[in-house]
Amino acid sequence: MAEYKRSTMIADAPSGYCPGCLHSLATRLVSDVLDELGQGDNSLNVISVGCSALNILYWNGDFCSVAHGRAPAAATGIKRTNPERLVFAYQGDGDLCAIGLAEIMSAANRGENFTVIFANNQTYGMTGGQMAPTTLIGQKTTTTVYGRDPHSTGYPMKMCELISTLEAPVYVARFALNSPKGVREARAGIKKAFQAQMQGRGFTFVELLTNCPTNWHMTPLQTLDYMNTNTIPYFKPGVYKDITE
Amino acid sequence: MKTSFVFSGSGGQGIMSAGITLAQTAMRMGKHATYLPEYGPEQRGGSAKCTVVISDDPIVSPLPRRCDNLIVMNNLAYNKFEEDLKPDGLLLCNASLVSEPRQRDNITVISAAVDDLAEELGNAKAANIVLLGILIGATGIVSEEAFLQSLEDKFKAKTPGILQLNVAALKKGISIGKPYRA
Amino acid sequence: MSEKRFMKGNEAIAEAAVRAGCRFFAGYPITPQNEIPEYLSWRLPEVGGAFVQGESEIASVNMVYGAAAMGTRAMTSSSGPGISLKAEGISYLASAMLPALIVNISRGGPGLGSIQPAQSDYLQATKALGHGGFHAMVFAPNSAQEAVDLVYEAWEYAERDRNPVMVLMDGCLGNIMEEVELPPMKKLTDEDLPEWSLTRRNGRDYQGNITPIYTEPILEGINTMAGEMYKAWEEEDVKAESFLVDDAEYVVVAYGIASRVAKEAIMALREEGFKVGMIRPITVFPYPKKLIHDLDYSRVKGIIDIEMTIPAQMREDIELQVAERCPVYEYGRSGGCLLDDEGVYDAIKAIVTGGAD
Repeated sequence: MAEYKRSTMIADAPSGYCPGCLHSLATRLVSDVLDELGQGDNSLNVISVGCSALNILYWNGDFCSVAHGRAPAAATGIKRTNPERLVFAYQGDGDLCAIGLAEIMSAANRGENFTVIFANNQTYGMTGGQMAPTTLIGQKTTTTVYGRDPHSTGYPMKMCELISTLEAPVYVARFALNSPKGVREARAGIKKAFQAQMQGRGFTFVELLTNCPTNWHMTPLQTLDYMNTNTIPYFKPGVYKDITE
Repeated sequence: MKTSFVFSGSGGQGIMSAGITLAQTAMRMGKHATYLPEYGPEQRGGSAKCTVVISDDPIVSPLPRRCDNLIVMNNLAYNKFEEDLKPDGLLLCNASLVSEPRQRDNITVISAAVDDLAEELGNAKAANIVLLGILIGATGIVSEEAFLQSLEDKFKAKTPGILQLNVAALKKGISIGKPYRA
Repeated sequence: MSEKRFMKGNEAIAEAAVRAGCRFFAGYPITPQNEIPEYLSWRLPEVGGAFVQGESEIASVNMVYGAAAMGTRAMTSSSGPGISLKAEGISYLASAMLPALIVNISRGGPGLGSIQPAQSDYLQATKALGHGGFHAMVFAPNSAQEAVDLVYEAWEYAERDRNPVMVLMDGCLGNIMEEVELPPMKKLTDEDLPEWSLTRRNGRDYQGNITPIYTEPILEGINTMAGEMYKAWEEEDVKAESFLVDDAEYVVVAYGIASRVAKEAIMALREEGFKVGMIRPITVFPYPKKLIHDLDYSRVKGIIDIEMTIPAQMREDIELQVAERCPVYEYGRSGGCLLDDEGVYDAIKAIVTGGAD
């Protein structure tokens, strides 16, 4: 039985995340993999805007906090000038697939040799639960009070599916963090992405389906069930592209 | 002594290249020179204009309103810029494309079918060098030797015949221009 | 070892940046500055640097943000419409205290405006390069040579202040070809990489971070420090040229390309006995307030603001210093119509002889 230890990449400080929020699990997975790969000091966390920015409060490694949606652009400047570093951007769904859509698609298309960890909780958490591009059809938010209507707001955007159509990315995968199995697979996926980056293979993208108990107006346990019945059937977990071997 | 030149025509007629080569040659001779291009938004066939100022002293303003020498490659350029030529200036027209330049004030008009002359020498693309030859012959703004050196630098990396063609174009132009030397 | 070349302003800026130690450029095509990215696309790899053609001006300035965070000398360039897009990123550079060079080869505006040269971005450059109330030092050279010299020094100021620097020129100066003397290549090593930067090539072995977001008391402190820095610039870093001002009855104030055209006109007017001089701001921020303020207004009968934009944008900066001690006149061309020596001569002469206001 392995000993459960605090990751060296996470400072002994409150995370700032709401109780039951899977963001803290997602960052925990990233930090564990960095520890396992011995890359803690060499890593550089490019922190975006939204709840993902709460990383600033407790991330123990080098980090660069950047403008909303621009993490893949800033990471490009970082990695191109310091290719020896293990660079990853940690972005939420408003940041990545609304305001930062051009940056993520273009960085992926250029095959930038860094990793994007994409936490998809289908809402804008920090600003109070507005509709995100990933919000499910019928889901109620503060800007879709009767539920998301595809006739006026379109459909939830599937980033793994989009990015895997590009030539350059080498690893594109989605995992759901609402089950132990999903968590184990996600950890392995993050490790695979980081290893591919360390080998200089190119752009890697790991989407993590997360929750938002506060803005979904559910208990944490209810969110896990909701993910099973609503999120996962639409955003299907799986490896969408893998040419790392 | 400060002398200004406006070269104008349409994109693809070697206007800009003529202006740059003249300015570079002046600098080679220890003079001061500025070259200022003006483009239309089109990539091909739009209007092209550049202003070259050559002086023995450092150049203060590179933006003269009127020029001492106006070189026009087509009717459009002629009609647009004709009034920018100073009263006692030199008007140099490509007779292949400029129909009837108007004589006015005390200007000197040289009209030569440089497109046709260049074609006779082997390639119509050398028309701008024939034109520069005429300009150099008529004004003596730069020496033939210095300009030949510029041509050599410009074309040495290209196919062997190109340099010879341009040298021939220059000499042809100078022979036409020289009789106009004040 | 320096060397002379006949170079286009834009290319001279690019080469000067490389020689100043710039090793990262990101930008997006826009006329009239395209020679800068085109030149750096092949030149930077030659010296071990990186060039990225960004998907937008927004992405490009954020790439610069990332590179600058690593302590790399980084720059971007654009023209008015693109500078507006970069405004967000420039504000973040200032907030995160990152040095970088932003070059604006300006054109006619507002909006898409015109691709032809104009000095239409003075207010944007000097008053609000982005949201949040910050300033960058703004250099406004009037020749390819001066652009080279200022770009060569830009990162010394940017790194000293941990703040972006702007070089503001217009399409004429970007596209003019003239003789320039290039300075030698600065030799920078890993030891020169700033201590605060996120690189570890300088031997840093503790956690580092760069952030554009702060909690309340810290941000107020940062705002206060910035305010003090702007004041210090005014004391120490103002650059300006005075031309025949000592006995001048009329003083032209002009920067960049306008100052060259004005100087030619002033020389002609002097030959006719008109006592006209010129103050030329080289830094338009910090502004040479003192030079204008301290003029002898018992002699000076008028100040003439000449700019290649209509209406004149520098006028309020001038008027604050003149403080109604003499009239302030303005003359300009705009929207891609260029100033020329005779036009400026006529305008000044009309003012000096009382024929215009």
